[in-house]
Amino acid sequence: MRQQCQQLEETFLHAYVDGEFGAEETAEVQAHLSDCAICTHAVRIHESYKAAMSRASHLAPQSLQGALKLKLAEEAPDSRWTTAFRDPRGIALTAACVGAAAWFLAGGMTHPLLPRGDSLIDAQVSLHTHALPVDFAASDVGSAQQWLSSKLDFGVRLPHFAPGTQLQGVRLSNVHARQAAIVTYAMGGMRRVSLVIADDPEPQLGERARQIADREVFITRSRGFNVVSWRSDEVVYSLISDLDERDVLALVQSAEQH
Amino acid sequence: MLDFKHTERSRREFESLSLDHLDALYSAGLRLTKNERDAEDLVQDTFLRAFRFFDKFERGTNMKAWLFKILTNTFINKYRRRVKERTVVEGAAREAGNERFVTHEPTESSADPEQYFFDKLLSDDVIRSIDHLPIDFRLVVILADLQEFSYKEIAEILDCPVGTVMSRLYRGRKLLQRNLLGYAVEQGVVHGKVAMELAAESEEAEVIELNKRRA
Repeated sequence: MRQQCQQLEETFLHAYVDGEFGAEETAEVQAHLSDCAICTHAVRIHESYKAAMSRASHLAPQSLQGALKLKLAEEAPDSRWTTAFRDPRGIALTAACVGAAAWFLAGGMTHPLLPRGDSLIDAQVSLHTHALPVDFAASDVGSAQQWLSSKLDFGVRLPHFAPGTQLQGVRLSNVHARQAAIVTYAMGGMRRVSLVIADDPEPQLGERARQIADREVFITRSRGFNVVSWRSDEVVYSLISDLDERDVLALVQSAEQH
Repeated sequence: MLDFKHTERSRREFESLSLDHLDALYSAGLRLTKNERDAEDLVQDTFLRAFRFFDKFERGTNMKAWLFKILTNTFINKYRRRVKERTVVEGAAREAGNERFVTHEPTESSADPEQYFFDKLLSDDVIRSIDHLPIDFRLVVILADLQEFSYKEIAEILDCPVGTVMSRLYRGRKLLQRNLLGYAVEQGVVHGKVAMELAAESEEAEVIELNKRRA
């Protein structure tokens, strides 16, 4: 049977190895250890135990962090509204949206025949007005295009708009049950422009056709927004904004020139 | 519903403070629940609960300790019963199906006697020994020896006096070490005579501890 040290209890030695003591107490224990074989032995056993325990930990599975972030995002939605109210530019944007909504309602009253609900253009305009957060933030066309080509079943060619139209990012969605992408731009810091890209959804693109460079584009007005659509390689691009017709066509033209 | 309490900014702040502790929380959760699925659930519940109460967290204080307090409370309130039910079945199956293998590490120096055998054991044996501890001991051992919290932090996490932490820790470690000794003998890491000595020592220590408590 082993001897017990008469001076120090084992709990005291545990506390010493556990790093519970300040400098003074540590020095006292060390002084004692230097001439007590029993306690030195106990300390070494405890150190060996602590070393074994320190190896018994696990890493969380890779998927857990992603799942957690998703749950947290559900808990605190990435809300444009809450952030908008803290930012003066956001307040202006909100005011503009409210104005646009009022304008739309007024317009809706005076034009009872305005197509509603489920036309392709309306669906695209809805995507624009919802202003959902981007899936992939990008400020250069190259990386946005690369990201999209890895996610979409069809090929896209993102236009290069004139300077002053700043790419913000892209989001995946769908239009009439077909895969679609929404590319978001900012103009002059305040104005939002969306480019909805969808896989050849409908034969008829719009009401009025216009020729820009060597491309036929269609202009439609829906819910206060001008929508300019064109088709390229069986993919339909629709530019949605509250710019007036002349400005939006100039924007499309700028893309043709780049 | 829009919840103005939880803005995107507070979520970012929460994530940046809490996600660093994900591995630690999962590791502890795994030793508490003893299975991966429950551990993941426990950790997710812990994070969500912590996020909901994030405005109660005092900035600048110990985030890890705060998260562990929520983890242990969540475990005690919700998982304990569920896990208990399952381990009755699983424990028996695990005992039966465990193929043992031994790593004979060379003895590095003669100055390193056989008694300091703990760090020669397989992590699996350490884990099994922890899992066998009754929950009150398991909690303090996990917090002190796996997570290396101070006694004072553990007392705060478990809401009990420091003295209680120390005595539970001492007794928990003795129980655990006795289990480990069993594995060490099985594997031939420790031989008969030394094993007897260590066992006697550990029992003797327990008797002394018990006498002290009676006094």
